[in-house]
Amino acid sequence: MVDAWWALARSEEVTSAKPINVDLAEQPIVLWRDAEGVARALEDRCPHRRAPLSLGCVLGNGMIQCGYHGWTFDGASGHLKNIPNLKSEAKFPSLYRAAAFAVTESNGFVRVCLDAKAQAPAPSPTGETLPRSGAVNVALEHEHYINALFDDPALVLAIRGVRFTPYLMAELAEQDGRLVMERSCQWAGPRWPSPFSSDFPISLRISTDPRTGESDLLLRDDAFNPLLNATLAPVPAARGVTQVRWRAKLAAHRPGLMAKWLGTGTPFTVLPTIDGAALRILKPSASVHAAALREAIAAATPQAVVA
Amino acid sequence: MLDIKDTPTDDHADPVTADPRAFAAKVAAWVPHDIVLKDAWFPLAHSFAVTKKPVRRAVYSQPYFLWREGGKAVAAETHPAEGLNTGKSAFTDTAGRYPVIEKYGYVWCWFGNPANAAPEHLPSLPYLPEDGGLPLHMLGTVRFDCTAPLSLENLIDLTHADFLHADVVGDEKMDKETVEVFHDSETITMVRSCVNKSVAPVMKRFGGVKSDVQQVRQVIRIYLRSHAAIAYGRFSPGDNVQLFHPCVPETRDRTRLDYAMNTSNVKKSNPFRYVMPKASYKVSRQDSFMTSPQSPRYMRPEKRKDLHSPLDEAGQKYRVLMLALAERQARGDFAYRDNVSADCSEIIGYQKS
Repeated sequence: MVDAWWALARSEEVTSAKPINVDLAEQPIVLWRDAEGVARALEDRCPHRRAPLSLGCVLGNGMIQCGYHGWTFDGASGHLKNIPNLKSEAKFPSLYRAAAFAVTESNGFVRVCLDAKAQAPAPSPTGETLPRSGAVNVALEHEHYINALFDDPALVLAIRGVRFTPYLMAELAEQDGRLVMERSCQWAGPRWPSPFSSDFPISLRISTDPRTGESDLLLRDDAFNPLLNATLAPVPAARGVTQVRWRAKLAAHRPGLMAKWLGTGTPFTVLPTIDGAALRILKPSASVHAAALREAIAAATPQAVVA
Repeated sequence: MLDIKDTPTDDHADPVTADPRAFAAKVAAWVPHDIVLKDAWFPLAHSFAVTKKPVRRAVYSQPYFLWREGGKAVAAETHPAEGLNTGKSAFTDTAGRYPVIEKYGYVWCWFGNPANAAPEHLPSLPYLPEDGGLPLHMLGTVRFDCTAPLSLENLIDLTHADFLHADVVGDEKMDKETVEVFHDSETITMVRSCVNKSVAPVMKRFGGVKSDVQQVRQVIRIYLRSHAAIAYGRFSPGDNVQLFHPCVPETRDRTRLDYAMNTSNVKKSNPFRYVMPKASYKVSRQDSFMTSPQSPRYMRPEKRKDLHSPLDEAGQKYRVLMLALAERQARGDFAYRDNVSADCSEIIGYQKS
């Protein structure tokens, strides 16, 4: 977990108007933008009296000020820069600092690494900020959440007019350091039941980062026309909750009536709750080898640490 | 998975008879999820389903796109719209094409080293016309939510049918039952003979059988590498049932079955001719009801051994033969030691109508 880059917020959530609180497992983090518009991340805990820095404010110079006693911190280093009541120009010892985390921003997500010295990954050359977005908190532990996505996407998301089948065109496998699978789908409405169907008109490709579970989703038709792209960024949060931020984009050209219908209403939804009854009886299938694949990928990447 | 060098070995001992303890150990070591046999023909589509527009299939997640060029069926690793941009595997030639044969009303594609593809490795299916042409009502597609070997182990253990499919093929009531099993390195054949077995309800309702009991001889012959089975039943009174049951492992946990039930031996005026092929829709869901929860329990080695009855002989031998093939292939030996394309009419006791 320590050296992975986690999408802890959508870009538009992080502003210089007000800091926000997020968490990575049991680690509370405060995010804001400094005077240059650069996203910053510190431990959401003032080292003075442990008050959450996210209850404070962002000053005009881009520093964050604790709302309790006014201690003010630099976002890049976490160093204490000012104690207003001290009325002093004295410099503070380097010990006087809040824990700072590495931050980068790409594809519409603010990503944080707990290792402050970590080098940000190069942005994807084809990456873009998908225009539709949202965030939900799901009361399910992170690994179980990702396994549910692999075994039955209908438990965690909905695509307008799309029915996920139990059948795969490709089971979960390593591909360029990611976990990749492809599930056959049908259009909703009266259809020949999937267990008796010879062919399926659409499929959902899922490409998942083995450490963070961040997943790129591609819905395409049987002529390989892309219909919808989405990125799902599940993050382990406090108390076993998984925070899921997502972004999505409909393809401009979508051949076929059902594909065009995708554009009406809400085309892509990440569900805020999970059906426990359905989850309990969901048989492991695609997810069965996920843990082993993650280990294999981590072993092939010596510097990597499995989340 | 892509290591497909062919290195025939001299180890020709029959794994079924060589050593009882080794046999039992292999039966217990059954993890069908891990078996991926190569150098085999798979019937990936009914001939009618392959047209100018590409259709997509998979064998162990390996992508196959099938279409016709000038009327001839072809298969490629990538969709024509994608081209070869995404690279190709060792399963296809330099153009990214798979070896293809069209026979028995199916488009068969080779899964393995293309250099080893040969027509003599195509299974013999005596009751399917070589040029195809069965009417559509005798053909269909069903899917099993399980690994393909479990589906076939289920099939070759026909005692399950008396319970799971009793409402279709009849219950366990009969005077006598015998099971014989034959095998070679590439096939296993089970012959089940039942004396005075309660009549299959589907025959009573739709086949015009008035009697309460019938004499039954059922044959299941599995072509191990192709995961394809012949299910041939002789019923007296009643009509013979001629089913081709190919279990294509689309992934290690999902199975596709493009079946053909040739009921052209049944009178055209008999509803059984039209109803029986559709029974697959019901029977397959009944099977999946059990094999779907079974499948995750066979994905990893299990310390507790399965228990067996004498009626499980065929299933146990099927396990051992599959494992023997897998072990041979792991050693680099992909050679066929027995001819799967030789006419098996006599072996299955096929009565031409």
